[in-house]
Amino acid sequence: MLVTFAQAVGDAMKEEMRRDDRILVFGEDIAEFGNIFGITRGMLEEFGPKRVRNTPISEMAFIGAAMGAAETGLRPCVELMYADFSLVAFAEIYHCIAKWRYMHGPEYKLPLVIRSAMGSSFGATGEHSNCLESLYMHSPGLLVASPSNAYDAKGLLKEAIRNDNPVMFFEHKQLYKTKGEVPEEEYTIPFGVADIKREGSDVTVIAIGLMVGRALEAAEALAKEGVSVEVLDPRTLVPFDKEAVRRSVSKTHRAMVVEESNKTSGVGAEIAAMMQEEMYDELDGPVVRVAALDVPLPYNIELEKYAIPDAEQIAAAIRKML
Amino acid sequence: MEYSNEFLVKLYEELLHCRLFEKKLVDTYALGKIPGHIHSGLGGEACYAGTLATRQQGDYFKNSHRCIAVANLLGVSLETAFSEIMAKRTGNAGGRGGVNHVSQLKYNMLGFSATLACDIGLAGGAAMRLQYDGIDNIAYTFYGDGTANRGPVHEAMNLAAVWKLPVLFVCDNNQFGISTHVSQGSSVPNPAADRAASYGMPSAIADGTDVLNVYEAAKKLTDHIRAGNGPAVLECKNYRWRGHFEGDQTPYRDKKVTEEWMQKDSVAKMEKLLLDKKIIDQATIDNMYQQFDDEMERAIAFAEASPAITPEEIYEYLYV
Ligand SMILES: Cc1ncc(C[n+]2csc(CCOP(=O)(O)OP(=O)(O)O)c2C)c(N)n1
Ligand SMILES: [Mg+2]
Repeated sequence: MLVTFAQAVGDAMKEEMRRDDRILVFGEDIAEFGNIFGITRGMLEEFGPKRVRNTPISEMAFIGAAMGAAETGLRPCVELMYADFSLVAFAEIYHCIAKWRYMHGPEYKLPLVIRSAMGSSFGATGEHSNCLESLYMHSPGLLVASPSNAYDAKGLLKEAIRNDNPVMFFEHKQLYKTKGEVPEEEYTIPFGVADIKREGSDVTVIAIGLMVGRALEAAEALAKEGVSVEVLDPRTLVPFDKEAVRRSVSKTHRAMVVEESNKTSGVGAEIAAMMQEEMYDELDGPVVRVAALDVPLPYNIELEKYAIPDAEQIAAAIRKML
Repeated sequence: MEYSNEFLVKLYEELLHCRLFEKKLVDTYALGKIPGHIHSGLGGEACYAGTLATRQQGDYFKNSHRCIAVANLLGVSLETAFSEIMAKRTGNAGGRGGVNHVSQLKYNMLGFSATLACDIGLAGGAAMRLQYDGIDNIAYTFYGDGTANRGPVHEAMNLAAVWKLPVLFVCDNNQFGISTHVSQGSSVPNPAADRAASYGMPSAIADGTDVLNVYEAAKKLTDHIRAGNGPAVLECKNYRWRGHFEGDQTPYRDKKVTEEWMQKDSVAKMEKLLLDKKIIDQATIDNMYQQFDDEMERAIAFAEASPAITPEEIYEYLYV
């Protein structure tokens, strides 16, 4: 069945809500309106106002409420409209949600998912375009998922909802309309299992979210030049599938990380550092980072494009490595 | 209000336990047995004991950093509490959380955030769960006068009011946030109660040095909440007897004023009432002091004899 990424996300929630009546969703404009991307459309009608609620623009309060509800036996799957605004409730997420179980004891479980739309989307500018996975990777206790396609989004979200740990679930805005094959039958995807999106033998490209598609484009172009690129999609950043990376670089001996976030202190910095600490012997050269420029994302579309890696930039960077 | 003798003795006992526990914390800290910082609740006991005298089986609680004794009041054993406070394996989090995080879910305690106010919304979440399951219990959330000025408090109040959640917001107004007097931080004289109206909530101000006065105010508000009318705010006026943390010499306030407030001693007031009405005698009171002190000493000895967690266990409790 060919579905859009947006539909896959909505279907994952609906299927889980039919399975388990402890699950509820709330967030800004998700009820009648069905969220600004239409993802939660039909949910209010199917599950009623008790399980599908609009919140006021009060991120600190409704993230706090999600936490209290999760502690006491519900399984909230809340929507924080844009990842950018997760910072408004950053202390709640970074300090409370992540650390709660550790600081209060094992009986405290937090089956809680925070879904956010993220990433650049043509002139959305500096406060509506951020990819913030690296911030949440930095707080032990959180799980972090950043799917690149409809199939992974659905399987990972169902897994996230079933997990007793809090999950930050990022959905790239530019992916919402992309279509992918999704089976009719039920499936979930475990966290911490990377997926090789294209096999290759010359270089490993670890790409995240929207960048997976661009890395695949680059790989396609390079194949014509006789360069064989392996594209590895970690799918979840916490936990991170180090073994899959090790298997890949033990074959290619060269690695690159591509992310949409700006370079400094980004996901690529972490992965590159980890690889040189733990897989140095496998590497024939430094791990290369391809990332956005260190600027607030400009409004001007040409400059926005310039700031974020595209397939050509990725291909050019790969050529330099060989 | 008319009270049974049994009720008054029970209320006194809980108030006294708060007093003695908070005093024991100070003494134990002075002996160097507690890592980190403690925030003594001496002076504020009536706010907690009086409010919690309205609790019912099935209610939820979000405590503050100011009265750790509340954990014991709600069911956490003294052994578990002192073990966590003294960073031992036998604590509720094995000493990973510490003095501010003495909390057990089995007693419906929601935990505490040292990032003040970030946990205020938890009570709303617990209340959502109650509403979801059609249970007519309520959730209590305690916070200080300084914290009353943080945004999450206001968002949580609004959300609770919009969704008619059964939450009692309880402000322990001890007049200071560290060194900052309440008048320097709040544009209204009553930082919690005065703001309730803007969220369409009822509120009450209680004499936080009089446990019966607090109880009566809390009872009215909790009856209102239990009847399905949504949240309410209780503000208890008292005074922090000690520094913000142990070692704070309180240069920012007048010692005379402190002494005056210390005369308004909630425990002494209750003792006078019980003795005047001949509900209990002095020997019984003395015995209650002795008994709880013995229990705490045994718990501290237990904690001291308990092992600490080892480095191998440092990652435990992180992911389920
Ligand atoms: C968000 C945040 N800001 C500042 C602090 C530092 N801090 C700890 S206790 C405290 C004072 C709190 O005052 P109040 O709310 O009146 O509670 P009290 O200590 O008087 O019980 C401050 C500023 C903190 N823990 N969290
Ligand atoms: Mg105060």
